Amino acid sequence: MKVRVDPERCQGHTLCAMIAPEIFTLDDVDGHSTALDGEVPADQEAKAAEAIRSCPEQAISVIP
Amino acid sequence: MSTEPVTEDERKKNRFHFDRHTPEYRQQFADVAAEMIDKCPVAWSDTYGGHWVAAGHSEVFELARSAEYLSNDHDPQHERRGYKGISIPAPDVGFRGGFLEMDPPEQRHYRQLLNPYLSPAAVARWTPLVDEIVRASLNEKIETGRIDFVDDLANIVPAVLTLAMLGVPLKNWDIYVEPVHASVYTPPNSPDMPRIMQSRIAMRDDMAAQLAEIRANPRPGLISALAQAEINGTVPPDFELLGVISLLIGGGFDTTTALTSRSLEWLSDHPAERERLSAGRDTLLDSATEEFLRYFTPAPGDGRTISADCEIAGQQFKEGERIWLSWAMSNRDPEVFDNPNEVDLARTGNRHHSFGLGIHRCIGSNVARMVFKRMVTAVLDRMPDYQCDPAGAEHYQTIGIIQGMKHLPATFTPGPRIGDGLDETIARMQVVVDEQQLAAPVTARRGAAEVR
Repeated sequence: MKVRVDPERCQGHTLCAMIAPEIFTLDDVDGHSTALDGEVPADQEAKAAEAIRSCPEQAISVIP
Repeated sequence: MSTEPVTEDERKKNRFHFDRHTPEYRQQFADVAAEMIDKCPVAWSDTYGGHWVAAGHSEVFELARSAEYLSNDHDPQHERRGYKGISIPAPDVGFRGGFLEMDPPEQRHYRQLLNPYLSPAAVARWTPLVDEIVRASLNEKIETGRIDFVDDLANIVPAVLTLAMLGVPLKNWDIYVEPVHASVYTPPNSPDMPRIMQSRIAMRDDMAAQLAEIRANPRPGLISALAQAEINGTVPPDFELLGVISLLIGGGFDTTTALTSRSLEWLSDHPAERERLSAGRDTLLDSATEEFLRYFTPAPGDGRTISADCEIAGQQFKEGERIWLSWAMSNRDPEVFDNPNEVDLARTGNRHHSFGLGIHRCIGSNVARMVFKRMVTAVLDRMPDYQCDPAGAEHYQTIGIIQGMKHLPATFTPGPRIGDGLDETIARMQVVVDEQQLAAPVTARRGAAEVR
């Protein structure tokens, strides 16, 4: 599983990093999120899925 | 988005008499929300000159993220199209409320200017200072066994922090706190209004004096950023900057106060849940905070103006029409939230709209969460058996602007003071702010405050 944050949709709500801090990093200046570049570790997949569900802007997606 | 011509009656066939400024709306909120979400998630209301109301979660989601068709602009001087900003009805004032009543690119310039003061990394620097103000506020009451959570805690901490971030002396908090809160909950015809207007003038005078002072003798903070701002290639006039400062103060004060008082009242009414939250805070505090945000929605919505004929969420709109985006009602949509009228401290998938959506997402959301969590956990630690007094608890009569409380008295088993009192702490924290340049942007100063 790989995930991606759409920078056009992200508005810096920060829920993803609250839920899955090992997967999502927030920019110091505007708080917008970037996803881990690479495979989500198996033990983090549930948290990544919960971050996807919780994003108010629906900015996170699973990439093939 | 093509628009098939239809008659006015067809376009406005979903109708609902919606008046969020009445006490009845507060009393019947859950029923109104359920009915609108079920029957007319976007409806036309004849109130306040006629306007649309969006209540459904998916409809509010789509509308709020359509900035190309929904304008926040407030143009009281009719320099553009005369739009009326985010309040319905629009207040009778000659100025606009900061960048929340602007559209891009102007709005974006302000956000980019202020983000480095309000990002998660920027806000985290203030946590030790907030803990000091919380500790000292509780000290003032801890030996008596009685506290008013609004007057003695939730009014104070957000105000002191907001002023610190602005670059205003911390001790001035009591010039600001009364007019900001009272302006929200006092009806326009109240006999108390002249006194509140006086306090608003005193606040406005202090804001203008601070802006002038910071221009003359620069010190870091949000006001300093504004004083040096070039927006869209021009230097904004002072009344525009004072509108921005008022927005930051209005956003920083009453909303967090409302969230904290409502949550503390709920926890008093649900002691088992309070114990569960206190014991499990490491895993539960984040989700509980989001759930309180969803359930209480301190700022219940925003108005917009349709800026071009369009069809969004299956509804045709005409340029110039007004629309109310109800964050509060959309937060109760059963399509998204199971048992939406119940508080579930461990709720998952909590896509609430309490900080708004899209480009106008509350710029202070990181501040609000941090201050709320520090206040609530300190109360759970130092007053774990507190009991609110229902006879003294006073909610705002209406919830059209902020869903807040005027008073929330409580009793608890007295405990010992820890360290100094509020005035001494505020004086000490002023030195910390000044010496450590805490109010500088995170791009210039990174570390957390050192308060001892």
